Parts: sequence; structure tokens; C-alpha cells
Amino acid sequence: MRHVDRAQGRVIAQWVVWVAMLALSTAVLAGVRGDIEQSHVALTLLLVVLGGSAGGGRPLGYALAVFGFVLIDYFFQAPYGSLGVGKALDWVVLVAFLASAFVATELLARARGEAETARRRTEEVASLSRLGSETLRYARADDAIEALSALIRSTLSARWCTIRELPDSKSHRRWTSAVDADDDRAADRMRELDDRMTEAASASASAAADRIALATADGSIVIHSLSDDEVSSRIEAFGLPLFIESRLVGMLIVGGGTQAPLTFAPARRRFVATISYYASLGLERVRLEREAEEARELREANRAKDEVLAAVSHDLRTPLTTIKLLAQDAAARGDAAAASIEAHVDRLADLVTNVLDLSRIRAGGVPLDVALNTAEDVIAATVSRVHGVLRGRRIATTVDLDQPALVARFDFVQTLRILGNLVDNALRYSPEGGVVEIIATRDGQWVAIAVLDRGPGVLATERDRIFDAFYRPRSEVPDAGRAGLGLSIARRLAELQNGTVEYMARGGGGSVFTLRLPAEDLSSETFSDLAEPVREPERGTVPG
Amino acid sequence: MSDRDTILIIDDEPEIRRLVASALSVQGARVLQAQTAAEGIQIATAESPDLFVLDLGLPDKQGIDVCRELRRWSTAPIVVLSARHAELEKVALLQAGADDYVSKPFGMNELAARIAAQLRRARTPMRNAPSVLETGGLTIDLPRRTVRRGPKLIRLTPTEWSILRALAVNAGRPVTHQDLFDMVWGREFGSPSHYLRVYVTHLRRKIEQNPAEPRIILTEPGVGYRLDHEAR
Repeated sequence: MRHVDRAQGRVIAQWVVWVAMLALSTAVLAGVRGDIEQSHVALTLLLVVLGGSAGGGRPLGYALAVFGFVLIDYFFQAPYGSLGVGKALDWVVLVAFLASAFVATELLARARGEAETARRRTEEVASLSRLGSETLRYARADDAIEALSALIRSTLSARWCTIRELPDSKSHRRWTSAVDADDDRAADRMRELDDRMTEAASASASAAADRIALATADGSIVIHSLSDDEVSSRIEAFGLPLFIESRLVGMLIVGGGTQAPLTFAPARRRFVATISYYASLGLERVRLEREAEEARELREANRAKDEVLAAVSHDLRTPLTTIKLLAQDAAARGDAAAASIEAHVDRLADLVTNVLDLSRIRAGGVPLDVALNTAEDVIAATVSRVHGVLRGRRIATTVDLDQPALVARFDFVQTLRILGNLVDNALRYSPEGGVVEIIATRDGQWVAIAVLDRGPGVLATERDRIFDAFYRPRSEVPDAGRAGLGLSIARRLAELQNGTVEYMARGGGGSVFTLRLPAEDLSSETFSDLAEPVREPERGTVPG
Repeated sequence: MSDRDTILIIDDEPEIRRLVASALSVQGARVLQAQTAAEGIQIATAESPDLFVLDLGLPDKQGIDVCRELRRWSTAPIVVLSARHAELEKVALLQAGADDYVSKPFGMNELAARIAAQLRRARTPMRNAPSVLETGGLTIDLPRRTVRRGPKLIRLTPTEWSILRALAVNAGRPVTHQDLFDMVWGREFGSPSHYLRVYVTHLRRKIEQNPAEPRIILTEPGVGYRLDHEAR
């Protein structure tokens, strides 16, 4: 309250000074009134009125004008020493003085008002720019929003300011800056108002973005529009709903003035609305930071899972080796069941590899060494790998050796996995004695490697789903050793290398699975060594 | 495998050790066993075995370090048992001095075949003899720089010959892409290293009887190539 007294003191001092000036001027002029004209007196006193209204404002200006009027009449118009007016000219002087003094006072007061508005605008702009830099200055969103709340409170000369998330949001936190932070009763009142306003605003805010909740002096909460002129000017607190992309995310609540009871004059509304954007941005930053943190934790958990899976699958291989060697040992001694044990060990090892692959693909951890490779190299490696599991079926490969090698850009090991899975699938569905064909061709920008079988094919209704992990066609006889991962892994590994795996029904029955990989055309300039004919006659004989 | 061959198995799994040892003994080798790297190195210095079978999951030392340590004083082949399928690991092992690797779970026949091939290879060191290599119906004459299938001479480009020779002097052993590249192109500026696999495909078309099912130059996926010195 002390600064309020000081302001009053300044006003009283102005009155004292200018009234004294008026008296002094009158006394000096009265001493020489025989030698001067009335207009000289009027002009001099007008100067005093102007000075008074510049220093003390409108009331002092008008008061001085009236005093001056009386003084001119009393001291400078004959008969001296009385308030009567003698001649018509005297009236003109008096009226002219009063009119000039009033007009000058009014003009000065208006100019001062405009200067005051300009000063406040400048202050607002300055504090908005402070708000902007405060929000950017802090590395953590939490610190930024805390600073924001303190800055809003001091800018609005309020007792407290809270920025809060909605109660039904994930973390529903609040950040408060308060003058009397240690006062328990004030804190309770703050919380109560905060909750009531949030409740009231949430109920109505979804409809319109320019709502404001006001805690009026009589203790009730009312909702107004920000543009509403009827807003009562004396309030205990106001709350602004905060929006991000027209989604209600929280509240900004400001309560109790430190210099005077909190007012909500129309002139301040735009400033307050702007401040609320900063509060919204602060909340959004907190949310984004939280989401980033959650994503980081998820990634961490995923990586840990992948590591565990890798470790387990490695650890499993050693006991599987023991079982396999024991089974082979038993088979050598004539145990009829041993071969079946060995077959199951191999299946189990396959399954372990597939599960690990799938997990790596999902976690994005497949090591890729994409390089120029030839179709016939990877096909040959595929055929040599599956030779052990033909079970009476045959593989026929078709690569045109009279044409230049089919070169594509792919990872050899992962492509071997893809073709291995496709051929394995084809062999499984091929009838006894059937032939699985592998045909490599150039297909526009692709090198296409097709794996064809004469199995039952895939029902039209299931064609989209055979590439799903763990999917097995409903038509299929259950087979405990197969988890239905092969095709899913094949497709995902192909996509990782910018390739595709697609299914087509084969004319005459059966399936065609086609792997397409980005083809590469070799320039004969950089590759002159290969420009030579592949098979060249030597001394009249043709080798091969 | 003959009576002369001494094989040291370094593996901490007693069952695997026992089964591999008994299978190799049946084929005539003298088999020693160690269950830690330290014990293995101790036995190796005392007995100078002709071949090592080394498990990578030893409790006391990284497999790759054991390889390096053995290589400091022994030229005997090292066959590694690996539980991983990582090709990078295989490349690192070959660079550390391993000669071949078998991935778990492996079969006894597969392991025995690799061991036998390494033992035969060790007995006929390519480096010392001005050598003619015969494999899969192909005759590679290194000093004369010629390749024949039966009586017919096969014409190779200089690059193709360099690749074939690099594989032939390491016959039976996987040669990594990087090593092969270094041997063929050296430090030559602007060498078309990424065409290596295309060159190999063309080389196969010239020397293999059926390039669709190569038997002489075998692909070691993700690692490199191996020339099979015993192709049929």
C-alpha cells in the first residue's frame, strides 16, 4: 500500500506548487497593474494553467482556470478589489481566458492519455518478447513453463499464476508462480479457484475458443466471451482455456493483483490472449518432450528385447548341437528314432533363426551389405543350401548363360534367406516327385527371380494374408514344426533392399512367388574386361 | 585322417567334446581335449597338434583372441565352431587366422569333412611348390598361367586369371571379398571393387561345367569365395 500513498503525495505536491505559482504571479502582476493591460495578465495566468495541467492533469488544470478567472476579475478589472464586471471588454477577456484554459487543459490531458497508452503498449510488446525468449532459453520444457508462469504473473502484477494441464490428461501437472507461496490459506484458495475455473471452462470451452472464466468478487464463477464488453472489471481471478490446434489442452489462471485488485479492462484483453498462446506452446512443448522420452524408453525396451532374443537364440544352438550329435551317434548305433530327432533339431534351429530374424526386422536391426551381385550366384548358393531337404523333389534352374549376367543391387546373405524361404515353401507344397523351378529374368528396372511349384496354389481369399507373420492357410493340415514365418520374413527382407516379393497363381495349377530386386546396367567402359566374349574359340576348338 | 594327425578340441561343452572326439578317433586321429582357452593353449604348446577345433563360446577368453594367440606360433589349421550366424564375425575370424568355420547346430559328417579337407590342405602347402592344381576336371597351372578343361585351353582375361590364382593359392580356404580384392587389384586407384562378384560370375561361366551349380568356385555367403581343391 505504500506506493499508493506515494502516488497521492505526488498529486498533492503538484497542487500546492501550481496554486502557489498562481498566487505568486498574481501578486507580482498586481504590483504593476497600472502599467500593463489585461491581456498580459490573462496570457501569464494561462501559462500557469498550462503548466498545472501538464503536471497535475485535468482536475488541476480546470481548477487553476477557475481560480485564474476569479483572480483576473478581482485584482485586474476596475473596480479593483471586487467581483463586479465593469465594461463589456472585461467580459471578453474573462471568457477568452476561461475558454483557452479549458481547451488547452483538455488537449493536454488527451495527449497525456495517448502517451500513456503508447507506453503500456510498448511495455506489453517488451514483455511479450521477454516471454518469447524465456520459452526458448530453457533446455527443459519444465523449466521453460515454470519461467513462463512467473513472467506472466509479474507482467500482469498478479499474486499468482498457474499453467496447468487438464485433469483428464496423461500427467495432469500444474506449474504455479505465487507471491505468497508460503501462505497455506492463499494456496488452498488458489487451488480451489483453479479447479473450479478449469471445470467451468472445460464444460464450455470446447464450443468456442475465446472463452474466459472469471471469479467475481462475490465468489461465483462466470464464463464470458473475451470480446464481451459486459465483463465486470473487478475480479479475483481469471482463467483462459489453452488450445493447440483447436484441441483444449490446459488452462492459464491468473489471480489477485499486487498493486490493485485484478482488473480486466478491455484494453488488456488482446495482450492476455497473446500471453495464452505462449502458455499453450509451453504445454505443447512439455507434451512433446514427454512423448519423446516415452519413445526413447520404448526403443530402449525393444533393443533390450532384441538382445535377449539374440542371446537366447545363440545359447540355444549349443544344446541343439549336443542333441543333434547325440542323435547322429544313436543313428549310427542303429536307433530308428534318431533320424526323426535330428530332423526336429533342424526345424527347431530354423525356427530360432526365423524368430530372431523377425525380431530384428521389426526392430530395424538387420545388417545390410547392399552391393552389386549376380542372380546366378545367389541362385546357385540357394540350390546348394537346400540340397539336403529335397525329400524326393527336384529343383530346376533357368538362367540364360548366353546373355550377360543379370546384375542387381542387393544384400547377398538376406537375399539368400529370401530365396531359401521361397524354395523351402515351394518344396513343402510340391507333390512327391515334383519339380520346383527357379527362373531369373530381366523385367524392366528389375531383376526378377521366380520360384514356381505345382502345389495346390493359394486360395484367392488367402492371398493377402500368406505374407502375414505366423499365418498359415486355413486349408492346411496343421504342422507343429512350422510357424508360418518364412514368407513374411521373405517379403520384409525384400522390402528392406528396395525389392518386392509377390504371389501369382500359376497357369495349369500351382504358385509363382517372384522376388524383384533393383537391376543394374553395367557400363562397358568401366568394365572393359567383361566386354570380351565369354566363350572364345582357342586354336579351333570351342571349350565347354 | 591318418594315424599321424593329432587334433586338439577346445570346447567347454563336455558332451560335444566327447561326441566329436569319439567320431574323430574312429576315423583314426589322435584326439586331445581342453575345456578352457588356457588349458588349450597349454596343451597346444606341449603337443603341437596338426589341427585345432575351437569353440567360440569359451568361458575364459574371446574366440578371436584365442585364434590370434595360436597363430603367433602355429600354422596348423583352425576350424571354428560358431553359435552365431553373423557374417561379420566369420570375416573377423578368418582375418584373425581361422581357416574354416562350422555353424551350430552342425552335423558330425559336415564337421569331419571340413577337418579332413583342412588336414589335406595343410599337408600340401601351395606356397612352397610351383604348383599345378587339379580339381573338378580343371587343371590350373600357376607357373604357366594356363587353365585347361581336359585338353582344351580356356582363355581368361587378366582380371579373371588374377581372381582364379588368388583363390587357387588359398585352395580349400574361404577368401574374404576384401582379401580377394586386395590380391587382385592391390592399392590401384579407382579399381572397380564393386564389380568383383560380377567378375566371379563370368569366371564361373568359363571354368565350371555347369555354371548354374558351381563346384569349383563356391560362394561363402557374406564372406567371400572358396576354391574347392577336391571338386568332383
